[in-house]
Amino acid sequence: MTHSLHREGSLESLEREYVLFIYPARGFNYKGSAPKVRRMVELLYQAGPVNMIPTSLRRNMYSGVTPEEILESITVEGTRVYSVFNDREKLKKALILLKKADEGISIMVSGVTDRVREIAAELGIEPHMVNLSLGIHGRTDRLAPADIREFTTMCGHGVVSPHLVKDMLRRVKTGKVSEWDGSVLLAEPCTCGIYNPYRSSELLREKAPLYTVDRW
Amino acid sequence: MMIHAEKCIGCGRCQPYCPTAAISYDGLKSKIDQDICYECSTCLRAAHCPVDAIGESPNVYDYPRALRRYFSDPSATHVATGIQGRGTEESKTNDATGRCGPNQVGIAVEIGRPTLGMSLLDIQKITRAIARAGVHKIEPHNPIHSMIADEATGDLKPEMLGERLLSAIIEIQVERDQLRSILRTIKEVAKEVDSVFCVDAFTVVGPGLAIPEEVLESIRAEGFTWRPNAKVNMGMGRAWE
Repeated sequence: MTHSLHREGSLESLEREYVLFIYPARGFNYKGSAPKVRRMVELLYQAGPVNMIPTSLRRNMYSGVTPEEILESITVEGTRVYSVFNDREKLKKALILLKKADEGISIMVSGVTDRVREIAAELGIEPHMVNLSLGIHGRTDRLAPADIREFTTMCGHGVVSPHLVKDMLRRVKTGKVSEWDGSVLLAEPCTCGIYNPYRSSELLREKAPLYTVDRW
Repeated sequence: MMIHAEKCIGCGRCQPYCPTAAISYDGLKSKIDQDICYECSTCLRAAHCPVDAIGESPNVYDYPRALRRYFSDPSATHVATGIQGRGTEESKTNDATGRCGPNQVGIAVEIGRPTLGMSLLDIQKITRAIARAGVHKIEPHNPIHSMIADEATGDLKPEMLGERLLSAIIEIQVERDQLRSILRTIKEVAKEVDSVFCVDAFTVVGPGLAIPEEVLESIRAEGFTWRPNAKVNMGMGRAWE
């Protein structure tokens, strides 16, 4: 699953956003992983993610679920955790805490490679592998416009619909919903919890003036 | 998915939630086009129908239509792998598993992404092209592997070919010196499919997140570029089982 790899947008916008995964490996460190993952999530909370979902409870941070419910759900071996940070220093804090805890579970960070390289160097972490996005190929003429993809590619599984983004732009533009509330609604279909409502809110504010509205 | 016409009040709230625009008005009620629907269940999970008119299609778990659900709904556990998700742990746990060695490159073809989906007939064009290029081993832990009828030709099981998936991932591993030829193959087959796919290349890095120049040179040589953002395995995992 490479669903955080192809996020589109300006470099400035991408530089502020980091996706962090906690990922036990089946057959290698699954057994005994649940309490370790739970402790790692407790550490993530200290760093302040803007969204997070464990696979044991696929409800994002804006669904009304409490941190206690999220932690209590992590009882299943192999539970994975997906989270997003919208600040370099918060990601750094998370990595400092996770490095110190040294639970032995794989951690992935998606973000601008140069920034991740800097952070790793500052913390004395030696990354093991990089997964590069070599772009979109085939009938790219059938894709939603690039500015809509800045929203939809925050959900790599493709369940944040371009039509919903356009509908939300219309609702924001006509004052029916705020940028934040619209972004929380856009985040809901993404069951991995890596849709960043803060970035989405900025994008709605930025894009709404560019769209004309034909349905009030 | 389906909308129970006797319950639907025609508010249209569900329509923009469908990633593939399968929901539209049929008279005064919303209706889901069963040919287009990927069974991703986004409408059921997120649209919050005010009268609970959205439900699962009666045949959603019948083979081969069930493939739509297993590949398109990110929260569905795939029968072939026992895990959620369209691919495998690939680069995410390589620090613990060592599946991809230092002289190898992992390639992932993310079918139908972003948001368009793809027919199995188009997916077969890609699996056949990869087989013709001499790569006959699609990652065995990936659910696509269970759909292959003949590894030598890349043919998929014929009964599946009428189905469509919102996303799936073809994962292979090649030696570094094979990277150029497989990228060339992928570029060629992109001209034949009626949808889109994303391409990923993952490789073990050197100290300081140094990406091997041999890998970058192969990517450049075949006319590909890489995005400034990437996914990095931080090297903090280890095996104990």
